[in-house]
Formats: sequence, C-alpha cells, structure tokens
Amino acid sequence: MIYLDNAATSWPKPPGVVRAMRQALTGSVGNPGRTSHRSAMDVADNVDECRENLAQLFGIANPLRVCFTLNTTDALNLAIQGMLSPGDHVICTSMEHNSVWRPLVALQERGVELSIAEADTCGVVNAESVRRLLRYNTRLVAIIHASNVNGAIQPVAEIGRIARASGVPMLVDAAQSAGSLPIDVEAMCIDLLAFPGHKGLLGPQGTGGLYVREGVELRPLKQGGTGSESKSPRQPSIYPDRLESGTLNIPGIAGLNAALRYLFKIGVARIAEREEELTQRLLAGLEKIDEVTIYGAALGSPRASVVSFNIRGLDPGFIADKLEIRAEIACRPGWHCAGLAHQTLGTQKTGTVRLSPGPFTKMSEIKIALQVIEEIARGK
Amino acid sequence: MASRLVVFSSLNQVALLKRDLYRSGVYVEMLRTPLSLSFTGCSFAVRCQLADVALILQSCEKRLIKPGGVFDETDETLKTQRRVFSEDELER
Repeated sequence: MIYLDNAATSWPKPPGVVRAMRQALTGSVGNPGRTSHRSAMDVADNVDECRENLAQLFGIANPLRVCFTLNTTDALNLAIQGMLSPGDHVICTSMEHNSVWRPLVALQERGVELSIAEADTCGVVNAESVRRLLRYNTRLVAIIHASNVNGAIQPVAEIGRIARASGVPMLVDAAQSAGSLPIDVEAMCIDLLAFPGHKGLLGPQGTGGLYVREGVELRPLKQGGTGSESKSPRQPSIYPDRLESGTLNIPGIAGLNAALRYLFKIGVARIAEREEELTQRLLAGLEKIDEVTIYGAALGSPRASVVSFNIRGLDPGFIADKLEIRAEIACRPGWHCAGLAHQTLGTQKTGTVRLSPGPFTKMSEIKIALQVIEEIARGK
Repeated sequence: MASRLVVFSSLNQVALLKRDLYRSGVYVEMLRTPLSLSFTGCSFAVRCQLADVALILQSCEKRLIKPGGVFDETDETLKTQRRVFSEDELER
C-alpha cells in the first residue's frame, strides 16, 4: 500500500510503539492515581514521562497543565465549551474543521456570539482581520493552525500577539501541525493547544491532549473519579486532575510516549523539512497535469503536508477508487469534515481528493501517485 | 535516619516531583498517603530524608504545587492515628 492519508491518521507507527502498548497490557499494569502498588506506580511514571515529553515538545513550562484527552475533537470541545457562556463572543476562521465549527454553532444557538475571520482564496487569514473582529465581550479566539483540507498555515503567532494584547485567550487546533511543524506555546502566545496523539505525533488512535495555560480556567465537561481529593463532592481545582476524570488510556499513552521518544530522536524540524520536500514534489507534479486543479498556496509557499485537488469532470470518490485499484494508493476523497473550509475554497459542491504524505512516505511513492493521477486525468 | 512524608493532592504532582528530584540526584519513594493523613480523601506522598525536604519544597514552588503538609514518620501520634484503621479497612 502507498499510504497518503496521514492527515487522517499517521501510518506506519515508529518502532517501539506497538511494543510499548503490549508492555502496558502485559507488563506493568494498574490504574495510576487509584492505588499504590509498585506496578501502578510504574504506570504513573510512564504517564508522567509522556506528559513531560509533550510539554517539552511544545515549550510548555509546567507539564501539569497538559491534560490527556481522547483526540483533538475531545480537547477542542473541552476548551470551547469549558470557556464560553451565553453572552460571550468568540472569533474563529473560515478554515475551521467541524471539531471547532460545530461546537461554536451549537453554542451560538445557546446565546454565544460568533464572528468568522474570512480567509483568502488560498485559505489563509490576515491577522489584522481578527483584530477588527475583537469586541468588549470577546472571550476566545479559536484558530486552526494548519488546514486539514489544503494545508494552509495560519499566522498563529501574529494572531496570538493580537489576542494576548487584548487579554483574550487563543485556542489553537493543532490537529495537522503537532509533530509536523514546530510549535512553541510561549513564542506563539498560545493559551490553549488541542492536539492529537495519532497524527503527526505518530502515536496510537485514542490519544490526544489539551494544554491549558496557567491562569486560564475551564469548566470541566466531565466530573468523576480523579484519584485525588476523593472526599470532596466537587471536581478538584488542580490540573490536570480537573480535566482528567476517569481512567486514562494507559496503553495509548504508553504508545504515544514511545512515539515521542522517536520524534525527539529524529527531530520535528527534520520531519517538517522532509514532509515539505515530499509535498512540494507532489504539487510540482500535479501542476503539470492540465486537467488538475490544486487548492491552496502556490508551489514553493509554506503549507502543511496536505494537498487537495480535483480532476476536471471527475468525481473525487471515483478518483480515490481508481488510485486504490490501480496502485493501492490510500487517500481521502470528500469534504474532510470541514464544510466551512470548503465554502471558503469554493469546493463545497464537489469536495476534493486529499493526499497527505507523512514522515515515512518515500519519494518513489509520490512519483507513482503522480503517474497514476496523470493516467486517470488523461482517461487512460 | 528519620524520614518524612510530604503529602500532595494528586499522584500527577508526585510523579512529576519525583522525576524533578531524580534529575537533581535525589531519590524519593512515591506512595499512597496513609489514610490517617489523607485529609481530603485519596492522596499521594513522597517519602524522603529530612535533609531533602527543603529541596522538595523548592521544587514544589517551581512547579506551582501546593503540598498538603510534611509529616514525621516516627511521630508517635501519627503511628497511633495509623493504627485506627484495621487491615480490612485499609484493603477496602
């Protein structure tokens, strides 16, 4: 298989991930925070190491502000619904994934005011347009870092500085950027960072997290057992316990930790460089096919390793089927759970075919994909 | 050697401190806080030497962690309190 669907979930996983998950199920077992036998304490050590590694990766000073979640959607809901109340105002971009757009629209129906900063035809928002939308009651700015539709990268640091200067927390959806692009929460003025464990971080599905900056308080969406302050009927105020009710995904976290060790060994900068090389090669090849329309920044401009395209007169689903049948190429056709972004890019009627290389994609695989796309476009 | 228990609300805090201290060359043991000292319910503690308490408190300050107290394990009162619970009760 030629796997070009890393924006959905990365594959393959680095060596050590499966071993770590197996060890979590067969070696040291236990439920950290609930008991104190040696085995459970070993598990707690591993969970803590993973939390610290995530903090190190994102430039977070206090690892206790990193809360484990099931995925990015879980983290985004925790941030959005934990922050906003009727009467509050929130700003997002017109490139948001449904994991931001839908919770915001649901809250809008309950009295939250929503403004959308419009992106240009490449899918990039001007930071100044966010400044113009700020109001006296703006409580949150929610920004997708890199688009899952076309890889457009938003000027997060610039928007962060504007939001910080106005005392408004900024939430960043790093679903497509965590592990693939450098992120530093301090330098980029990020107050809330939602990220998946199973995409650029190369861990297993069912893992993710939310960073909550010191001083930013969220209402927990869940209450329950945390292994702390058990006599109290109320949820603890300390982090991460406040947002981590119930048993954690211990095998998943063990796998994620192994993946993070691999990431540190290789380096995010090197991965970003490699993915850019693959993406630019893909774009260069697609540009040469007359029947192909590419969505997003021009060749040579920065973008995450996500490429969306269409072939004139062909249904994206048909193209994806052909790619799989002819060369076992795995990709994603459709609207990519991002209706708002497709409105922005003008692809709401058709959807697109999305190709997303990952750190393990070979250049030879990109060449094969381009060759098959050209054959499909030429009706061969 | 007289050992001390530094008590915390959460195992997450204890695990992070243990790692911090280990990097500073100090080994501490993580354990469940004796129920007689768990004033707020389930909690965890580090067992350390008296000489290391100051360093632990410094680490707490750096990590913005508020300890629930420092207790002398040889304290007779503490021992008495611990004996309040039967083995069965502790098991539950």
